[in-house]
Amino acid sequence: MEYIARAAALLGAGICMGIGALGPGVGEGFVAGKACEGIARSPENASLITRTMLVGQAVSESTGIYSLVVALLLIFST
Amino acid sequence: MPAKKGGLKRIFIVVFFLEVIILIISGGLNRQLQIGFEEGRFFIRNVIHEYNLQEKITEEFQPDRYLQEKGEKAEIYGSEKLYTLFSKIFSVNNAVSAFHLLRILFIVNLAMLGLAWLIRRQIFKRPSKPQVLIEMLYTFFEDFVRDTLGKKNLRFTPYIVTLFLFIWTCNMIGLIPIPGMMEPTRNLNVPLGLGFMAVTLVHITAIKHKGLINWFKGFAEPLAFLAPLNIVGELSKAISISFRLFGNILGGAIIMLVVSSLVKFVMLPIGLNLFFGLFVGTIQAFVFTMLALTYIGVEIAE
Repeated sequence: MEYIARAAALLGAGICMGIGALGPGVGEGFVAGKACEGIARSPENASLITRTMLVGQAVSESTGIYSLVVALLLIFST
Repeated sequence: MPAKKGGLKRIFIVVFFLEVIILIISGGLNRQLQIGFEEGRFFIRNVIHEYNLQEKITEEFQPDRYLQEKGEKAEIYGSEKLYTLFSKIFSVNNAVSAFHLLRILFIVNLAMLGLAWLIRRQIFKRPSKPQVLIEMLYTFFEDFVRDTLGKKNLRFTPYIVTLFLFIWTCNMIGLIPIPGMMEPTRNLNVPLGLGFMAVTLVHITAIKHKGLINWFKGFAEPLAFLAPLNIVGELSKAISISFRLFGNILGGAIIMLVVSSLVKFVMLPIGLNLFFGLFVGTIQAFVFTMLALTYIGVEIAE
């Protein structure tokens, strides 16, 4: 019975990470694309746009990080 | 100077070939060359190196559980009295990790106090190099505070700069290649404490700015029975910024350990440390401070 619970926890961690990484991937790619457009339109603001892009990506990454925390909890605390 | 041109490249090539030679001498990836003294005799051994990743991760991230599973007698630096003291203050399941955390936090605090003392001691009209660096950092954040909060509220700048410097130093500690030098932000207690501190500051500012009655009214914003939702929303601010920092640092540490063990710790860990240690650490420290600043700005703007 313990082995079944362990297997279910590991499977859950994998599924959690896989689905949870979808959203941030799409979001970060979208932000990077928009930043490319902005730099192409006004190259003199490139450094400001890059800085804002990095901060925005780090914020939009947080849902992926939450799923990572849940996956780690599933792996290490069962 | 011809010696300096491409010096770093040459060092990398030399280190790489040294590692390859060491690997060849040790006869494959699963073996380890041991050189040392034992019972007064010099020896060179070629032993099979058993590297258990699961065990290593448990040792690194849950030291108490590792000690309990191994059945070894738990003690901190050879002192049983210190261990009993720590297991009385914290629980038995947290004693060793709490000691590690406190030790690293003490080192971080000492480093920051030393830096402050050094800078404070030599403030001149013609500034020295470290003073210029610190002043650049301060004015960088002062501009942010002026943009977000307005000219009247420049008194928040020291808090913001201190927050950034503390989190950044915490994240950079992991780069020092000494066993036991882990990032304090890897433990959830540190980011959670910083997050609750920031949210408390936000509400104190709100009470000062709007008055106590208006602050209470702010919780029943659209409708009175939505007040529990608003309170949970305020708590989730702290949880969201602290879990972001914690998850990034812990995930980076675990990925570094796993990938490094896959390549048997040859060369690649340097690049991993550059990305997960330097880059992610700096970005996350910056994001934490920016979000704390934005939360304060939302309360002041109304």
